[in-house]
Amino acid sequence: MSPLILSIVSIGRRTRDNVNGVRSSGDHRNPGHVEALEILLQGLCGVHKERLRIHELCLKSGPNLGHVASEVRVLCDLEQPDPTWMVRHIGGAMRGSGADQISVLVRAMVESKVSKNVLRLFYALGYKLDHELLRVGFAFHFQRGASITVTVSSVNKMLKLHATDEAVPVTPGIQLVEVTALASSENYTEVAAAVSSFCEYLAPLLHLSKPGTSTGVVSTAAAAAASLMSDAGVTT
Amino acid sequence: MPMKWVFHWQPNVGTTVNSQIISEVSQCVESINGVKEGRWKVTLAFYKPIFRDQAVPAEYPRDFLGISLPEQPNRHYFIIRGQKIVLEADSSIQTIMEKLQSYKARVSLTFEGTQYQLGDFQLRVGKVAPSNSENSRGIVMEQSKIVEYLPLSSMEKSRQILDGFVEIWQEAVSKRSLPGHFMPIEPNFAEFGLSDHYTSQHTAVQYAAVMAQLISAVQTAQTVRN
Repeated sequence: MSPLILSIVSIGRRTRDNVNGVRSSGDHRNPGHVEALEILLQGLCGVHKERLRIHELCLKSGPNLGHVASEVRVLCDLEQPDPTWMVRHIGGAMRGSGADQISVLVRAMVESKVSKNVLRLFYALGYKLDHELLRVGFAFHFQRGASITVTVSSVNKMLKLHATDEAVPVTPGIQLVEVTALASSENYTEVAAAVSSFCEYLAPLLHLSKPGTSTGVVSTAAAAAASLMSDAGVTT
Repeated sequence: MPMKWVFHWQPNVGTTVNSQIISEVSQCVESINGVKEGRWKVTLAFYKPIFRDQAVPAEYPRDFLGISLPEQPNRHYFIIRGQKIVLEADSSIQTIMEKLQSYKARVSLTFEGTQYQLGDFQLRVGKVAPSNSENSRGIVMEQSKIVEYLPLSSMEKSRQILDGFVEIWQEAVSKRSLPGHFMPIEPNFAEFGLSDHYTSQHTAVQYAAVMAQLISAVQTAQTVRN
C-alpha cells in the first residue's frame, strides 16, 4: 500500500509593490509577502525553518521501454554537507466524484533514499533526463491532526546542464507555496480535512487551492504582511 | 562492518550439486566446533526490460539484479554487472520499480541455509535455488569475522586472516573427500567504485559475482553435455 500525498498550493507574489494602496507609515518599501509568511509560519511552528536547496531531475523512460512511458524523479539535497539522494515516484491524481469533493489533491507517492550513483543506474536502464530544476526556499513541519509540511520555494532552471550554481528563477518574483501531508488509503479524508483546516491560518496572506486551480492575491495580504512584519519588529 | 568472504562450491567435473553435499559440509563445520546459530537467507532477482514492441534494442542491460541481504532488512541493492554499477536503496525502491513497469523481476533465486559461530568467525552455509523450487543449483558459503580486531576493515589486512581460515577449512573438507571444493569469490570492488572499507554494497557485489559463476558453470555443463 503506497503512501498518499495530499497537496494544496498557492503562487505567492513576493513583491515590494503596493498591491492595494496601503502603505505602512514611515516606510518607503512594503514588506515582501514571503518574509511575512515566514514570520507567520515561524509563529505557528515554534521551531526555525528548514532551508531547502533541492536539485530535482525528472527522468523519463526511453523509447520502447515499458508498455507505457514512465517517469521518475531523482532529488539531490544540496543543503546537506554531503549531498543526499532520493528517488521519488508520484502516481496519477485520485479521480472521480469523491476526489472532486476533496479540497486537496491526492496522489500516491513512493520514495526511496539511494546512494549517489542513482543517475548512472537509471541512465543505464534506459531513462533519459527530461528536465531539471532547482528549488530554493524553506520549509516548516507541523503536527496538526496530521504531519503537515509547508514549503515556500522559488523554482529555478539551469542554463547549462546540472549547473546549480547558475540557476535562474522560472517565474521571477513569484514563489510557490505548497502544503503537503502524508496519508494512507484509510485516513486520507481525515488528513485532507486537517490540511484544509490548517490552511485557514494562512488565509490572511494566501488563498490555497488544488494545483491547477488558479488563486488570486488575497485582498488583505499587504495589510496582513505589514502587520506581521511590524509585530516581529522587522524594520524595512 | 566486518569483512565477509563468499565462497562458491565448485563441483568436480562430472559431479553435480545435491543436498547430500550440503549436509556433508554442515557436518564438516560442526566437526571443527562450529555452533549452529540459526537460518539465513539472501534473495536475488533478475530484472528484465519490458518492451512496447518486441524488437529488442541492444542498449538495455541483461544483467540487472536486485538483492536483499539479511543484515540490512530495510535496504535493497541494485547491480548492473556489465557496467559495474551498484546502488544501495531503501526497500521501497522495489515498489518504485513495480510502479514504473519498465522492468520486471522475472527470475528470483534464494540463497539460504544455516549460520554457525566458529570461534571469532560467523559462517553461513547454504544452497542456491530458484525461489519456488527445492532443486539446488549451487552451494555457497559466507564467512565473516564477528569481532573487529583491526581498526579498519581493510581488505588487505583481512586477507591474512582469510588465508589462515582457508587452510583450516580445506583440511577439514579434504578429510571428507567431498566431490568439489569452495572457491573464493573475489570481485574487483574498485571497478564498482567501492572503497577498501567493506560495506553491504560489497556483499551485494559478491553475491552478484556468485550468480555469474553459477550461470557460467551451468552453461559450461550444458556445452559439455552437448
